Amino acid sequence: MQLKKSHNTPRNIRRQLAAATCGLLAGAGHAGGLVASGNNWKIDSALLIYAEKDRVALVEPVLSLSKEIDDDEFINVRIVADVLTGASPNGAVPADTPQTFTTPSGKSTYTEAANTTPLDDTFKDSRGALNVEWDTPLGNNLRGTFGGNFSNEHDYLSTGFSANFAQDINQRHTTLALGLSFNNDTVSPEGGVPVGLTVMPVYPGVKATDGSKQDKTVKEVLFGVTQIIDRSSLMQLNYSRGQSDGYLTDPYKILSVLEDDGTGNLRGTTPYVYESRPDQRNYQILFWKGVHQLPNENVLNLSYRYFWDDWGIQSHTVDLRYRFDFAGGHYLQPHLRYYQQAQADFYRQTLIDGEETTLAYASADYRLGEFTTQTIGVKYGYQFHNGAELNLRVEMIEQNGKDRSADAIGKLQNQQLFPDNEAYLLQAGVSLDSDMIINYVLGLFK
Amino acid sequence: MIKTFLLAAGIGASLSACSLEPVQPWDRDILAQQKMQLVADPLETYLDEHIYFSKEASSGGQGVGGGGCGCN
Amino acid sequence: MSTRLPLLLVLLLCGFTSPTFGAEPAPDFTLPTFPDDAGISLHDLKGRVVYLDFWATWCPPCRKSFPWMDEMHARYKDEGLTIIAVSVDKKRELIEEFINQRQPAFTVAHDPSGEIAKAYRLRGMPSSYLIDRNGLLVKTHLGFRDKDKATMEAAIQALLKK
Repeated sequence: MQLKKSHNTPRNIRRQLAAATCGLLAGAGHAGGLVASGNNWKIDSALLIYAEKDRVALVEPVLSLSKEIDDDEFINVRIVADVLTGASPNGAVPADTPQTFTTPSGKSTYTEAANTTPLDDTFKDSRGALNVEWDTPLGNNLRGTFGGNFSNEHDYLSTGFSANFAQDINQRHTTLALGLSFNNDTVSPEGGVPVGLTVMPVYPGVKATDGSKQDKTVKEVLFGVTQIIDRSSLMQLNYSRGQSDGYLTDPYKILSVLEDDGTGNLRGTTPYVYESRPDQRNYQILFWKGVHQLPNENVLNLSYRYFWDDWGIQSHTVDLRYRFDFAGGHYLQPHLRYYQQAQADFYRQTLIDGEETTLAYASADYRLGEFTTQTIGVKYGYQFHNGAELNLRVEMIEQNGKDRSADAIGKLQNQQLFPDNEAYLLQAGVSLDSDMIINYVLGLFK
Repeated sequence: MIKTFLLAAGIGASLSACSLEPVQPWDRDILAQQKMQLVADPLETYLDEHIYFSKEASSGGQGVGGGGCGCN
Repeated sequence: MSTRLPLLLVLLLCGFTSPTFGAEPAPDFTLPTFPDDAGISLHDLKGRVVYLDFWATWCPPCRKSFPWMDEMHARYKDEGLTIIAVSVDKKRELIEEFINQRQPAFTVAHDPSGEIAKAYRLRGMPSSYLIDRNGLLVKTHLGFRDKDKATMEAAIQALLKK
């Protein structure tokens, strides 16, 4: 055989030393199942359809390609497109009369019927995203994964880099991980960036803006330990912390302003103001996951996450997947997820006339409120004898806010102030490799 | 509080590593299976994280990187 | 200096990954083989150079080494090389399925309990061991990389010439 490189630089020697053995944890994505090896590309694809009852619908195809480009060195490319249509809560509360809002662009209006949660139905967006990862041995039992990502929407641009290091120690029973990431995003809202807590003008008035675009950065660091417990169990514990800086406000979200008379009536002429959030957010995450295979070859995958930040948000997430394997390559995997979050300090369902001039921050975005999310789903998969897989997943997601109507002002007590949400998810996936496609095509010509 | 937790977790992990029976290289057939990986289906995890990122105020924990979107 | 230090470290590590055992005899074994369960014993192979490889169907780099072992078998079997690929898979049918697909020309044996792997102090998958014509363990190698093929072949050639 011919050697590709004639010079053995120290880097090459190091790479040779990085044992091309069955690493379990580092570079785990290619241990078992279909493998990107030699000239073979591993191809994973999925189509997601996500629809909320009376609200947004999302169609998102994903394609992931992996290849071993050199000994134990892999490249992964993920291409994502998504199309979003439908309506999203704009932050205003329901009223006993129809409400009319100016669209973000300022070019038209939309009207919400009485006693219903105001939804901005002008949402239509498409996104394209590309993620490239290079996974390579760096030394004895040390791997590095370096990634870059790019995502573009008509009003949002995101670019980022990440580096992950995984060191196997303790005869490969333990893996220590260090992850670093940096993201830089630019938002260019329709009609410009609204000035926080200024009034949404009545059409054809023009909102006060602070330029046409704003930036934000996100830095994150992660420390992790993965431990093999026994022949059929492993556990992971991660601690991460992150910091977001810059424009963290949602430029399309507003708050309702009430009269200062306890009636719960909307303020006369200018009842809505744009939301405003702090320009920094520091958060920390503890994440634990355990994977265990039972003697009957079923697999339990359980995780818990505790998240907390300096906006006052705290959340607990429990995620459980249990995979039943059946003869002939079929499997069924039920999924349960429970999420509970406390509200941000500046979350307000409504403001009282005048408060918008005294408060620094306020948001009525339901995602910053106190709520729970419950997910129940099931995935069916079929593995062909050659390793290819087909799968189908159906899930139901329900979000329920804490009912605060008893504390609400005046006639708002009769309204549903937190917009509960019900969503359905359908996902179909296919995994195969390029050899299978080539063999199939060649078979057609035989 | 976090430091104490991490310290306790670290001690726990190292104690368990010492007292547990080591899993020899030839006994790692189960751990090598795709379904036993921490992220057994990366695309499913990616899509889930994308959905919950746009519907909840918390995200991440499992890893870093991946990129943002205007959905939150 | 700054460029030499990593190199030195690498050389030190090299010493760890491929120790030379000198005059140590290779642990003897008798293992069932495929497809006909004829069985093979190391002590019957005195006078031949043995390339002993520990592998499993669930280990991607192990699978990658099969075409190369086929090549080595074809090239050197008449000069005295015997290749034994010992699977540590638990289930015999997994190995049968694999060899039905690949049809390796060399011997495939089975060590389901890992007893022989343990005797060879196996540290990772795959691992290979070169045993000279006198049954002495001369060289061990951890992992399988395309880049290592030339040096591994050179080591086989050197032993065959002895």
